[in-house]
Amino acid sequence: MSFARTSALSAALAFALLAAPGDADAQERTVKITGFGAKSGVVRVFGINSEAALKAAAEQINNAGGVTLGDGAKAKIVIEFLDDRCNAEEGISVVRRIASSDAFVAVGPTCSNVAESLFGILQKKVGDATDTGLQFPIIADVAAKGGLAKISEWSFRNVPSEFEMYKSLFAWLKTKHPDLKTIYGGVEKDFAHSNATFGVMKAQAEANGLQVLGQGEWLLADTTFSTQVREMKRANADIVAISAHPFTTCGALKEMERQGVKPKLLIGLTSSSSIETLQGCAKQAEGIIIPTSFAPVTPEAKNAAEQVAKFGGSADLHSAAAYEVMFILKDVIEKQKIIAKPDTVAADRVKMREGLAALKETNGLLGKIGRTADREAIKPFLYVHAKDGSWQVLHKPAS
Amino acid sequence: MDLLDIIDTLQSVADGVLFGTTYAMLGIGFTLIFGVMHKINLAYAAASIGAAYASLLILAGLKAPPALVFLLAAVSGGVIGGLIYLICFRFIPLANPLATLMSTVGMLLLIDEIIVHTTAGVPLAYPALFSDVIVRAGPFTLRGDLMFVFVLGCACMVLLLALLYRTKLGLATRAVSQQPAAARLCGIDLARVNALTFVITGLVGGMAGAMTGAAIGMLSPLLSLPLTVKGLIVTVIGGLGSIPGAIIAGLLVGGLENLFQSLRGVSERDLYVMLLLFVFLVFRPGGLFGSVGERS
Repeated sequence: MSFARTSALSAALAFALLAAPGDADAQERTVKITGFGAKSGVVRVFGINSEAALKAAAEQINNAGGVTLGDGAKAKIVIEFLDDRCNAEEGISVVRRIASSDAFVAVGPTCSNVAESLFGILQKKVGDATDTGLQFPIIADVAAKGGLAKISEWSFRNVPSEFEMYKSLFAWLKTKHPDLKTIYGGVEKDFAHSNATFGVMKAQAEANGLQVLGQGEWLLADTTFSTQVREMKRANADIVAISAHPFTTCGALKEMERQGVKPKLLIGLTSSSSIETLQGCAKQAEGIIIPTSFAPVTPEAKNAAEQVAKFGGSADLHSAAAYEVMFILKDVIEKQKIIAKPDTVAADRVKMREGLAALKETNGLLGKIGRTADREAIKPFLYVHAKDGSWQVLHKPAS
Repeated sequence: MDLLDIIDTLQSVADGVLFGTTYAMLGIGFTLIFGVMHKINLAYAAASIGAAYASLLILAGLKAPPALVFLLAAVSGGVIGGLIYLICFRFIPLANPLATLMSTVGMLLLIDEIIVHTTAGVPLAYPALFSDVIVRAGPFTLRGDLMFVFVLGCACMVLLLALLYRTKLGLATRAVSQQPAAARLCGIDLARVNALTFVITGLVGGMAGAMTGAAIGMLSPLLSLPLTVKGLIVTVIGGLGSIPGAIIAGLLVGGLENLFQSLRGVSERDLYVMLLLFVFLVFRPGGLFGSVGERS
């Protein structure tokens, strides 16, 4: 073997050895997106569904080639999901843990009380040197209480606006059922979401000419509803609006059946348009109308529901939002040229925040989702009603 | 307050008293364990709900008629009760009162999380017997399912009292409760009596869990903590160690809870129930049927 040939072979071998790890590295780049929410406690199902939705969407993205990073490399998305137990302190602790890693964005939380406290530890205004709050972008998928994203410029949400949903629903009821004149409410008082949403329902009912005859109140873990339903019976309203989660919604509906309370129309809380309500009280919930931002009515939504089910979850208005979030993040990562390396974390976080803040419209499972200046989503929605043990689309309002 | 208000209030109290049977059953469990071992089993109500969940699982597995759910819950409760004794009491130093208290707190949380992980926290429909029966008496109505729960609860209490006062096991249990050292000298196996007490209270608790599920028509892990609190309140008001006290206090708390709800609303209801607890602790620490305790 000549010296030249040996040298050439050695050089080729050395090049191959040097180049190979680089190629392998490029081929194996991963971007970890961390979700968090309740995976223990009584709202565990929300966490299970969100995690399944994030993983299902990530798989779809990865199967299509992954996400293109700022340095041109293709990366696969890996999902990690942490449990905040629907507890504000846990939520803050979880996010501090995520923020101490290489993560440049997080998705969560499940509960509004967690989001409210959590967004409070983020820097309020970007660039405010006097504010030592956490500079880390978070996009919420489930926490539904109105107006939470305005707490910090680092907080974003892809949750439906319940204000818009109930505004639309009551306006539709006014035209569809002009004979209905009175309404009575049932509200789960100790849960931030249901309590706040009842305020929305009540205001919209009044704005559309309905007379509010009163409201029965109960707590999330209450076991008897006889007193409240008796008051409801006395009110004899045309419409009964129940702003409560499935357990007490079912408890109240069962008591209504026992006492023979049969309003002409039933309205429910967005979160109750789920499988839990049907598992608990399909018969009693028959006919209840609920606005929701998800139903498997488009090819994309049908596919999402199937994919989420593959990962052990159920697609509903909350988990569908998580599914959409993954595609939003993919677009922002690519548009903002996120590098996703340990030494670019701070810059990546800033770029992610800017990218999310700049969004005017995103793709959703039911159609285009608008974005507001205060980092909230304007999602398309429809009304479903419980019929024959399943949720069926009752009406799709014109957007 | 007009006549209709008065009728509604009385109706609420009646419903509360009927539902109070479940509180009474839970109170009996707490009080019996306290009477025998002078320990509080904080996992008792959670175990009762766990037994009710287990009965649903077994019912679905066996494809048995729903009427059997109460029996299955009682058996499950007995098994869980025995396990709680083994895990939280048998091998833990009983001389340290905090040790068993903490072990039962841990067990409460563990049972809750097992339920949550098994069901994802999703509420499940629970079969209610006679739910379509409504007895009307003038302006008043009585729910068939609640009356069934009430009658079943009363039957359980009678059986339990018969067991305690008419059997050798009952005699041994009472002996251990009153004079454990003397009972041991008489040849009574303390560990066996303690274990059997947990199994028996577990049977009662399982029945109480099933009755709670049947009365609401649903089961949720959300129930464990409020029922634990109610069970403890009933135990204190009835008098620690007094079974008749637990029965009366259970019905009383159920009725008063609905009365407060009717008069003052949900946001103040629990405040008054708690206040009642403090009134008893201060003015009658021995409870309704316990000895009038003295404050040092």
